Amino acid sequence: MKYITLIAFIVSFSVFSQKELPNVTILTLENKSVNVKTDFNEKDKIYIYSFWATWCTPCIAELEAINEHYEDWKKELNLELIAVSVDDARTQKRVKPLLNGKDWTYTILLDANQDFKRALSIVNVPYSIIVKNQKIVHIQNGYSQGSEEELHEVLKKL
Amino acid sequence: MFGGLESNSQWYLNDKILETKQPEDPIRSNNYLFLNYNLNKWSAGLQVESYEKNALLNYNPKYKGTNVATYYARYKDKTFDLTAGYFYEQFGSGLIFRSWEDRALGINNSIRGVRVIIRPTDYITFTSLIGQQRTGFDVSNSKIHGFNTEFDFGKIINLSTSQLTAGFSFVGRDEKAEIVQPDFDNMTNAVSYRLNFSHNSFYFGTELDTKSRDGVLSNGSNDLSSKLVKTGNALLVNMGYTKKGLGVDATFRRLQNMAFFAERVPEIFPQGTSLIFNDRLMNYTPALTKQQHLNTANIYVYQAQSKVDFTSDEIMKAGEIGGQIDVFYDAKKGSKLGGKYGTKFSFNSARWYNLNGKYILSPSNYDTKLLLGSDKYYVDYNIEVTKRFSPKVISGFNYINQYYDGRFVAGYKYIVNTNILGAETTYNFTKSRSVRGVLEHMWADADRKNWASATIEFNATTKASFFITDLYNYGNDDVIKRTHYYNVGGSYRKGASRVALNYGRQRGGLVCVGGVCRIVPESTGVSLSLNTSF
Repeated sequence: MKYITLIAFIVSFSVFSQKELPNVTILTLENKSVNVKTDFNEKDKIYIYSFWATWCTPCIAELEAINEHYEDWKKELNLELIAVSVDDARTQKRVKPLLNGKDWTYTILLDANQDFKRALSIVNVPYSIIVKNQKIVHIQNGYSQGSEEELHEVLKKL
Repeated sequence: MFGGLESNSQWYLNDKILETKQPEDPIRSNNYLFLNYNLNKWSAGLQVESYEKNALLNYNPKYKGTNVATYYARYKDKTFDLTAGYFYEQFGSGLIFRSWEDRALGINNSIRGVRVIIRPTDYITFTSLIGQQRTGFDVSNSKIHGFNTEFDFGKIINLSTSQLTAGFSFVGRDEKAEIVQPDFDNMTNAVSYRLNFSHNSFYFGTELDTKSRDGVLSNGSNDLSSKLVKTGNALLVNMGYTKKGLGVDATFRRLQNMAFFAERVPEIFPQGTSLIFNDRLMNYTPALTKQQHLNTANIYVYQAQSKVDFTSDEIMKAGEIGGQIDVFYDAKKGSKLGGKYGTKFSFNSARWYNLNGKYILSPSNYDTKLLLGSDKYYVDYNIEVTKRFSPKVISGFNYINQYYDGRFVAGYKYIVNTNILGAETTYNFTKSRSVRGVLEHMWADADRKNWASATIEFNATTKASFFITDLYNYGNDDVIKRTHYYNVGGSYRKGASRVALNYGRQRGGLVCVGGVCRIVPESTGVSLSLNTSF
């Protein structure tokens, strides 16, 4: 019981706090290190970090669905989608061949040992966080059809 | 501040058909609370874990009660990164060292100690660490030393269309061997050399690993001795070619005596040894096969054979050799194969063999050849076609053929050949309401023979979905064991939170994530899982 009280206390405390993006360094598709906090920090630009994996069907469905609107969204808003693959060493080699059929223009990052995923306490993919001025302003846990429209509504209000 | 909570609970019920009885503490729950504070370049955090009244069935018995499991403090700027406390790290592809967390498998082999990462320029990284590996709420009895460096030659010599990177790692496990005059050192050293190259549409990567002389546990015994002392090694080669609409990727891997643990001798529990709970793993040797999503395709799952194992005259192995190939092809909209909306094809095949060589059962010894295989462990072929028929309908078809030698792969008595057909269709009623149906059939010539499976999933809104599924072992020779493994459940998600409730039967066997598996017993019950971040 004391743990429940503790958790309730922490949750209620943190609901009102602004969440800053964790300071994590991961790799690009070209094996180069990038810092997710400091390398994507254009003022007032909206960054969508979308966590996915090659074996995750809903993740790919989400990225495909957003792809249909991505050019329009970019014209309308100053935004960028960063697709963070959480594939580990087993499936990471499938990322490149899979991407080429896809026509995605997203920035792709590789979080092979799940440092970024863990820092955000993500349990399952798909999972998206929306970041503006290095603050996490919205979270979407999971994806089902039509969620991309809801996401678009959220983005327009930022 | 940032935090997250995950809770997985199960209420185990009696089941006359499965002949399973409620375990002691029929309501069990695994809970994880993670808290993280950031202040400029500083961060600190902790994870509290609670297994009450007990951990879910077949988790590592060392996960018991409620306690602070990990904690850390970290300073990180552009060039200097220091962590004290528990941390996670992976060198290269993890063949000599990976410390990670996978709650579904009960793996948390983080290192408690100190790690320094230095990035003096943007083309070189050094990592150095020392510590002890976590096991349960404790740490294991060895000191882990590690060093890693990564070079980006592409940046040094200013390549534009090509990339060239190299890496080198060292890992040492220092554990006093508790036997009289061991014929090997307390310190076991593992070294890794890596090279990655890409040019336009082509890429290539290789990794070579060695592990120094160390006592090998064999003959199914868990006693350490100097009777069999061997080095270990691994070789990984990957290459691929991708262009618009086409991707080809091929991987070759050879592992010999690469089982590597934070303690040499496994701990024995009433439920089994620490090995089956994936405890004290130093490295990551995943099965390089396709990750299957069909229910029936997850019954005979290959597991990487990194370990030396002498079970009988027939089953003697020192590792594995083989590879897999993937081909992805997208037929364009309007083409003959593509039709109006385009069609996606993917093909995957994996083949794994024992290392060819001389094997002697008693006294155990082996001498392997470098590039030859012998006993066939596992072979599969997978074909997948995904096609959209209209804006409302998208379908997928799968054909899978598997050869699985259970004697070598998992110590069973059978060899099984399977053929699997799967078909799935999603129909969209509206933009946010859809239904998905999956039908599968598996023909198997041994063990539990044929299976069939059906799933219906209904996404009522973007937030709520429901499913019902049945996996039926109708072909079992033993009529009493022709069991239905049914499950029904639903999930609801909002913002950062997700909650799922499920009732049904769990097929006993392997639950695998990322090529690592956990054995679960058959059970019936209600499960509730929720996760959120705040």
